[in-house]
Amino acid sequence: MRDKFLHAPRNLDPFAAEQPRLDDALSRRVNADPEKLERGLAQLVLTVVELLRQLMERQALRRIDGGTLSEDEVERLGRTFMELDKRMEQLRTEFGLTEEDLNLNLGPLGNLL
Amino acid sequence: MIELYAITDERAPRLPPIAPLSAVASHGLAAVYAPADAELQVSPEALWQHERVVEALMEDRDLLPVRFGTRLEDEAAAARSLEERHQEFAGALARVRGAVEVSVRVLGETPRPQPSESLSGAEYLRARARSESAAEAVSTAIHEPLSSRARACAKLSAPDPAELLRAAYLVDRDELSAFVACVEELDEANPGLSVLCTGPWPPYSFSAP
Amino acid sequence: MSPSTIAERDVALIDLIDRLLGGGVVIAGDITLAAADVDLVYVSLRALISSVATAEEKNVLPRLGSAL
Repeated sequence: MRDKFLHAPRNLDPFAAEQPRLDDALSRRVNADPEKLERGLAQLVLTVVELLRQLMERQALRRIDGGTLSEDEVERLGRTFMELDKRMEQLRTEFGLTEEDLNLNLGPLGNLL
Repeated sequence: MIELYAITDERAPRLPPIAPLSAVASHGLAAVYAPADAELQVSPEALWQHERVVEALMEDRDLLPVRFGTRLEDEAAAARSLEERHQEFAGALARVRGAVEVSVRVLGETPRPQPSESLSGAEYLRARARSESAAEAVSTAIHEPLSSRARACAKLSAPDPAELLRAAYLVDRDELSAFVACVEELDEANPGLSVLCTGPWPPYSFSAP
Repeated sequence: MSPSTIAERDVALIDLIDRLLGGGVVIAGDITLAAADVDLVYVSLRALISSVATAEEKNVLPRLGSAL
């Protein structure tokens, strides 16, 4: 597999950072288990929630750029998004989902998030 | 049971002896397969073994790689599948003809901020804005010049937020070395980024209709 | 095995998995891999969600903004 490298950076290690998740990814993508449906449903719902969260966050960033928000409003928005971020992580952990699981490949449009 | 490897033109060179391969043809296309064991093994070794077979085929013919783990009852089922979707497959094969897939991954130094008690709301949002613009900058600095040298491109998702770009490019076989030279130049020109490029792969990311 | 060899192998494996398990022609056969039914729901969701994303790009979703 050495011959698959067309151009490698000096330090390759950071590119292998997700390795611990690979075994998991391999086993999860194979073989149905009884919890599959529930997990699949949670994945769909959380994907949509994550989409909305990111849309709103981008809107917020745009407004900050536009300078129409007061310091106080920016602070409150930031806290809210931080809280949402935390909650999403809790939910992901609960259903054994990774951030990557909450993304959709839209083909030529790239990824959803 | 048979396991499918690739869809090729019906008129193609002799199958390589790397596995007990056979081909079944219909409507000018051929499905390349091998007899399959009862149990599908999914391990890094099994994936590499599958990849070696597809790469051996790729050496002297154009092909559409089939998703790993695709098993059909028999040759007749494979022929039916070709018959039902021959237009779609022929179109996809035409799009990848003479090209290979190249993978590019870019790591940056601006990780996405994680929620924390020590961060104020405003700080958190500003950090989010910075990581957003880092990703956009990579898109302009790396992805755009590379996609202009490719026949097609596709962004893939990466689980690590520090990975600012993970993409696949469909590159003409004769353009491959020029494309890699361009990757090297871009890596040199952007000291804050780390660029990894692998390939040539069969056109896995460009086989969908 | 030296550490760099392990990294090389693992790094290439990530690209391999992206392709073999996430790409390639999908032919409905004996679907041993992936949660097939869920995948199908995803395909139809894609169309819906990509149109939402496009709408957002074009800034035609003002109500999301005012909901903040």
